[in-house]
Amino acid sequence: MRSSALRYGWIGYTAARSNMAYRGEVLFRSSFLAVILYIFMRLWTVVYAESKNGRIAGMTLPQMLWYLVITEAVFMSAPRIWAEVDQDVRTGRLAVQLIRPLSYTAGHLSRAMGERVVRFAINLIIGSIVALFLVGPIAMSIRGLAMFAVVLPVAFVLDFFGMFLVGLSAFWLESAAGIALIYSRSVMLFGGMFLPLEVYPDALQPVLRILPFASMVSAPGRMFVNPSLALLKESLITQGVAVVAYAGLVSTVQFIAFRRLFSNGG
Amino acid sequence: MNRGVEIRALTKNFVLTRWSGFRRSVSEIVAVDGINLDVPAGQSVALIGPNGAGKSTTIKMLTGILHPTSGEASVLGFIPWRDRRKLAYSVGAVFGLRSQLWYHLPPGDTFELLARIYNLRRPDFIQTRDLLIDRFNLGPFMQTPVRKLSLGQRMRAEVVASLLHRPKILFLDEPTIGLDVIARQELRDLIREWNHNDGTTVFLTSHDAGDIEHVAERVIVVNHGHVVVDGAVDAVRRKYLGSKILRVQFHGTPARIAMAGVTSLSHSEYEWKMQVDTTITPVGQVTAAVLDAGSVADIAIEDPPLEEVIARIYSGDRREESS
Amino acid sequence: MCRSFADYIRLVAAYLRINLNAQLAYRGAFFSEAIAMFVNNGAWVLFWVFFFTRFPVLRGWSFKDVVSLWAICAAGYGIAYCAMGNAHRQLASTITNGELDMWLLHPRAVLPHLLLGRTIPSAWGDWIFGYVVYLAFVRPDARHMAMFVVLSFTVAMAFVGLGIMAGSLSFYVGNAGAMSDQWRDAVITFATHPPALFDGAMKILLFTVIPAGFVSYLPVATLKSMSMRDLFMAFSGALGLLSVSAGVFYHGLRRYESGNLISMNG
Repeated sequence: MRSSALRYGWIGYTAARSNMAYRGEVLFRSSFLAVILYIFMRLWTVVYAESKNGRIAGMTLPQMLWYLVITEAVFMSAPRIWAEVDQDVRTGRLAVQLIRPLSYTAGHLSRAMGERVVRFAINLIIGSIVALFLVGPIAMSIRGLAMFAVVLPVAFVLDFFGMFLVGLSAFWLESAAGIALIYSRSVMLFGGMFLPLEVYPDALQPVLRILPFASMVSAPGRMFVNPSLALLKESLITQGVAVVAYAGLVSTVQFIAFRRLFSNGG
Repeated sequence: MNRGVEIRALTKNFVLTRWSGFRRSVSEIVAVDGINLDVPAGQSVALIGPNGAGKSTTIKMLTGILHPTSGEASVLGFIPWRDRRKLAYSVGAVFGLRSQLWYHLPPGDTFELLARIYNLRRPDFIQTRDLLIDRFNLGPFMQTPVRKLSLGQRMRAEVVASLLHRPKILFLDEPTIGLDVIARQELRDLIREWNHNDGTTVFLTSHDAGDIEHVAERVIVVNHGHVVVDGAVDAVRRKYLGSKILRVQFHGTPARIAMAGVTSLSHSEYEWKMQVDTTITPVGQVTAAVLDAGSVADIAIEDPPLEEVIARIYSGDRREESS
Repeated sequence: MCRSFADYIRLVAAYLRINLNAQLAYRGAFFSEAIAMFVNNGAWVLFWVFFFTRFPVLRGWSFKDVVSLWAICAAGYGIAYCAMGNAHRQLASTITNGELDMWLLHPRAVLPHLLLGRTIPSAWGDWIFGYVVYLAFVRPDARHMAMFVVLSFTVAMAFVGLGIMAGSLSFYVGNAGAMSDQWRDAVITFATHPPALFDGAMKILLFTVIPAGFVSYLPVATLKSMSMRDLFMAFSGALGLLSVSAGVFYHGLRRYESGNLISMNG
């Protein structure tokens, strides 16, 4: 058990390192992040200027902008897990991994985490620079950052499960790309990436609570900006439920998929 | 007035910039070094030479794609790099490695597009197209997407595409590359026929000796940007095509062979490599003798490598001096 | 002059026909890419629906105004890259791979001809989206619709110019592909957000280095004011962008024709 944990840790570390090698490419992608952040910071500046009180969804303008930094950094750090799984299904590599499906999933997970952590860090740095330049820093505490550090990885894991499921759709669909696009846009739209979820129309609120996307994007964002124990409790419960649900879903789908693989001969 | 190709002191230098880190080094490469050439209309010319000899560069200058460093050229009365568009109406080009045909569609679709590009009058276009399809045997494939055609069929379609606007001069850059023996011969025959019947000037570059022998009436050998040999095919044939390389592998140790015109190039216990002067002894005779000499495991008959032959020609090694 | 224009239109029609046929040979991929782009654009409009439900006015911009902006951008982008797909990402590689040679062999002016040689499947989703969304959400009268159509071609002209400019960078800098993509994406991102968000120095930038102003701001202003003067400005702006980029291309082409593009690394 300990040795396999080490093994997965090593996989994650290697993935992180290889991502660092593509520094040039990452830098270019990050410039797009800076553009989006700048535009949305301008958007919120205008909104706040036209609003009566200084708070929207419980956040001041600087807090709102830092919220954006986090949610953008999270969203744009997502590796293309679905494409890898789709590829595995298509090339039949999946069949080779069938013997130990748990290790297949765990392998992908550790690679994804390695890649994601690096990309998130770079996005965070660039976003922070833009935010510092435009609004300056916000109040932060060690306690708050610690809570943030708890919520963030769970968010990553959740998103991983989502993308993994999307990739598995390759068993039934010609290409997982269509589903992947819908998934990605759903995360963006219903995860609260550009707008905090409280701002959405009231009719949508119950829907947003059920969907797991908020836990992937909005939760870390809020935790960074307005950390509190109450929020931590709420987030962990929501995320926890989501993780369990997802894990169950993934196992079920995998089971069905592998059954199909066996019966169809791959 | 010569309505073919006239070249005077055509020169092309390339400036090569090399970056290592932040340091830049600039060097000049002479690709074409003061070539003089006259090709009358209707002639069929083969331009051969090793890689980097300047063939493609010359063709690019003659079609107006590249501007020379100095010198003059006139193609069909036009200066290629100045009157590129006007000249293009009368020039056809087939570049072996790059296709004009739309890959996922039948060749006919590309032909229709070309008719529009070249502003061809509809009745003229249809007449030429049908004639070409008939001559080049494309009839059975006109509804087949290009990606499903064999390479031989595709090359025939490429040549047809280049002839739809009835050009007066046709440039072919390595047209038979990758083709099997039969397809190669077919394509060569078709090109030669078109040259004879239609009077189209043909400019062919190739690495293949067979291309030269079967298509061209005149051979120009280019090396290091210079014209090294310029003469009728027959004359050059004796110098260039007069030998074959025979490679044999035996199961056991073979008996010795001594024949006129056969020079041993390398000799190990089971393997022989020899050069056969085919003007003295036909290669068939030598092959028969080899087969008698022992139990043959593998045998190959090849043209000598172009680079080697040209080096020999350039250094003055004439056929008359050997044997 | 008139005759050569008619001749060019016939050429455009011939290329549209052959491009569409080539795409329909693989219609699954073609339709899924077009639909995916439609969905992608839809997500963004949905975002603005949510936003404007909560904040009805954004510095004088209403939901209909922002939708008009999106619609005109999508319509123009779609028309541009449906008809002139070679003004898109591939232009850079066309230049560096020496594929210009094939185009130089034809008896046509290189640039207007070369651009026609490809269609971008997703662009078909874009222009259909633009028109559908404008009709559905804005419900224009006949005058506005007519102006929209005219402006969509003006915007298309600007997008073609943008693409030519981005791709022509390859004449001068070796691996310009990623850089020019980033620049183009930045312009498009700015072009799809209301210019009211930006002021001062940024506005100057948006009419020079990041020419979103000529791409969409002038046209959308024209759509609002319906004035001939604004239309003239928008048209001139787009034409200016196109002309400058064509100039850059032909300058680079001269370098190409003198063969001085060869450079190596290390």
